[in-house]
Amino acid sequence: MIWKYLRTMNHRRIGIMYILFGIIYFFRAGLDALFIRAQLAIPNNDFWVFQGEKYNEVFTTHGTLMIFFVAMPLLLGLMNIAVPLQIGARDLAFPFLNALGFWLFFAGSLFFNIAFFINMTPEVGWTGYTPLSRAEYTPGAGTEFYVFGLQISGLGTIFTALNLIVTIMRHRAPGMKYTRMPLFAWATLITSFLILIAFTVLAIALYLLMFDRLFGTGFFSGEEGDPIFWQHLFWIFGHPEVYILALPAFGIFSDIIATFSRKRIFGYPVMVVSITLIGFLGFMVWSHHMFTVGLGPMANTFFAITTMAIAVPTGIKVFNWLFTMRGGVIHFTTPMLFALGFIPSFVMGGVTGVMLSVSAADFQFHDTHFVVAHFHYVIIASTILGVFAGLYYWYPKITGYILDEKLGKWHFWTFLIGFHLTFFPMHITGLEGMPRRVYTYTQADGIFLLNAASTVGAFLMGISMLFAVWNVYITHKKGEKVGNDPWNGRTLEWTEASPAPEHTFEPMPIVDEIDAFWFAKIENRSLATTLAVRIKPLEQETIQPFFIAMALLVICTGLTFTWYWLTIAGAVLLFSLLIVRSFTDERESFYGKEDPYE
Amino acid sequence: MKKIVWLFMLIFLAGCNITVLQPKSETASEQAFLINFSFWLMMIVVVTVFTLFIRFVYKYRFTEKRKDDLPEDVKGNRKLEITWIVLPILLLIVLAVPTIAITYEQSAKAPQDRKKNGVHIDVIGKQFSWTFQYENGKKEMNRLVIPEGEPIIFHLTSEDVIHSFWAPKLGGKVDVMPGKEITYEIKKPEKGSYQGKCAEYCGLAHANMTFKTKVVAKEDYQEYLIQESQ
Repeated sequence: MIWKYLRTMNHRRIGIMYILFGIIYFFRAGLDALFIRAQLAIPNNDFWVFQGEKYNEVFTTHGTLMIFFVAMPLLLGLMNIAVPLQIGARDLAFPFLNALGFWLFFAGSLFFNIAFFINMTPEVGWTGYTPLSRAEYTPGAGTEFYVFGLQISGLGTIFTALNLIVTIMRHRAPGMKYTRMPLFAWATLITSFLILIAFTVLAIALYLLMFDRLFGTGFFSGEEGDPIFWQHLFWIFGHPEVYILALPAFGIFSDIIATFSRKRIFGYPVMVVSITLIGFLGFMVWSHHMFTVGLGPMANTFFAITTMAIAVPTGIKVFNWLFTMRGGVIHFTTPMLFALGFIPSFVMGGVTGVMLSVSAADFQFHDTHFVVAHFHYVIIASTILGVFAGLYYWYPKITGYILDEKLGKWHFWTFLIGFHLTFFPMHITGLEGMPRRVYTYTQADGIFLLNAASTVGAFLMGISMLFAVWNVYITHKKGEKVGNDPWNGRTLEWTEASPAPEHTFEPMPIVDEIDAFWFAKIENRSLATTLAVRIKPLEQETIQPFFIAMALLVICTGLTFTWYWLTIAGAVLLFSLLIVRSFTDERESFYGKEDPYE
Repeated sequence: MKKIVWLFMLIFLAGCNITVLQPKSETASEQAFLINFSFWLMMIVVVTVFTLFIRFVYKYRFTEKRKDDLPEDVKGNRKLEITWIVLPILLLIVLAVPTIAITYEQSAKAPQDRKKNGVHIDVIGKQFSWTFQYENGKKEMNRLVIPEGEPIIFHLTSEDVIHSFWAPKLGGKVDVMPGKEITYEIKKPEKGSYQGKCAEYCGLAHANMTFKTKVVAKEDYQEYLIQESQ
């Protein structure tokens, strides 16, 4: 089976692998969080080894993993599985590229995680600020694992974004106009554009940092360079990244709230416009991460205003979700509970976001636990609750089983309570003067009880994940298959079998309105179908993407330890593979040896 | 849901003795005002959303009686949607006005004229200590002494990585950059002893890079300047 998955190009299998590794890293990064909280539980604590160096390594790993190797793959996994099914595509437009994108993510994450086992974990924070991340201040190979890990996996993410854009633009079912597309597909489309721009900027930043570290250039220090350049580049990536994480979750919640309120989404056009607007404004706010670096009054004011502006489209979405529920019949299933937990939690994170945009007040908030509270509120409430909601919701499409509802509710409540208990007190510890990324505080700081509460909450979140694990185990042990449409859904994925078969949409449904499947159901008719459709993107089992990604891994290992012979060997391998790929034509098995159009 | 409301009460009650909300200088007072002002404005949003949320979730929940109900097919409502576009914009304008006013005045600036009225102090950050240099050339490490009631103008530079200078009760933080001087002004500090710390992660002993600040009477400050540094 592993051999099959290594060579697969199928969107559902690739999605499963994304999710699987996302969850594995979620447990590792979660464990890191527990180490952090254990060390901060009491004043002047000496928990195990987590003071100074090890503590710095642990928060760097926690942040980097959670953003790049947990949130990203979990969302990309869900997109991979659900979006083609939602829009009537029979696979992603470029199956080979999709496999390559996944294996690049895998190679990058593997590279980053290896650092721990050879005791070279980076300790520059997930933001990798220069000049601390330059070779003078962090000699040794640690930071290279950060640079190359993100570089390789970022390349994969760009490929997948391209793939999703083409798929959504070119492979929709007949009649599935842009105005009839489910909101998760819309969010995926906008997110993919954000990825395309933001991850390219990150790639450039990392590339320059690589030159600074390995070859002594001076992009980020010295006469010509400036450490601020890194911050600009990083946040031009970093802020859109926040929306790359949040928008798909908004899409998931929109579909789930509509499904379980038994009502179409309220104000669909405005929902689409606000996703687009958030994506657009997301590129104009990056310097609100830099209010304290002395950009001057003009920049501080401008970025305060743009940041406030972004609250407007976000607010619109919140009210539209609320009014979707109004007049509906709300079914409290596990996915819906996660969506309901999201709304108040996310609003709490949103309002602290507006407070942070007030730049003069941000001089106090900046780099304290108040900020830690804020971004955990928005990212956990949107991305993590969104991913859980999506996993419970689409689990039948992924595996053919439905997760146990009772355990799902235990998971939800313990997670939600643990989450608020962990992060709410941090607003106050931040205002009490507790900076981020410190491993200790004193009794005199008067923040012991609040920190202790955070620690208890963190462990409660840890326990809640055991319910999730137990749930998966029980569900698979029981092994009760479900039908096509266990949730009484509204969109096309529920017309297909659970789990989604290799060859989907045969015949292809014709979409005549939004939520077409739902309205067909209540009118007791079935969707019209057609056989005259675009052929399925061709796919073939091949090991090439895996080896291409591994070749890049070899190159980066060589660069990290300045074993240039290894780099050259890796590069030779990579170019040979690219040549082999150029002479591979999957169409041959379909059309025969000769090109019929010649 | 009650739990969350209760927690908000807690932040309000705890607000009575939270460090940055008990400012000890004019600069920090303005910042505390903005924090309080934005907090209460945002509470309007939170209360509105929570009220609607609780009402809708309760009223439209699934019950046995409503098992076979088919909700009316509502596409949207232009008037309502315009309402929640316009009202937040108004709310944000109310917030933006004091924000701009105070930010414009307080933002750290490029190097200023050293002749500007006030007490000028050079702050040099270095892994993992602070050096304060006074106008007469006196230097001291990890201990800052300033006179009360005067404008204090800090000239900040770093010898290595980025640090951030922060004395929570006296004002917000400002980054200390290598190769570039930034000035930051704290107005009218009040007498007392305050904690100071580095707020930008700067490496191994970042957590221990702290300093003590003492605000003293003007005469005591003059006397301090001529004392030999210990």
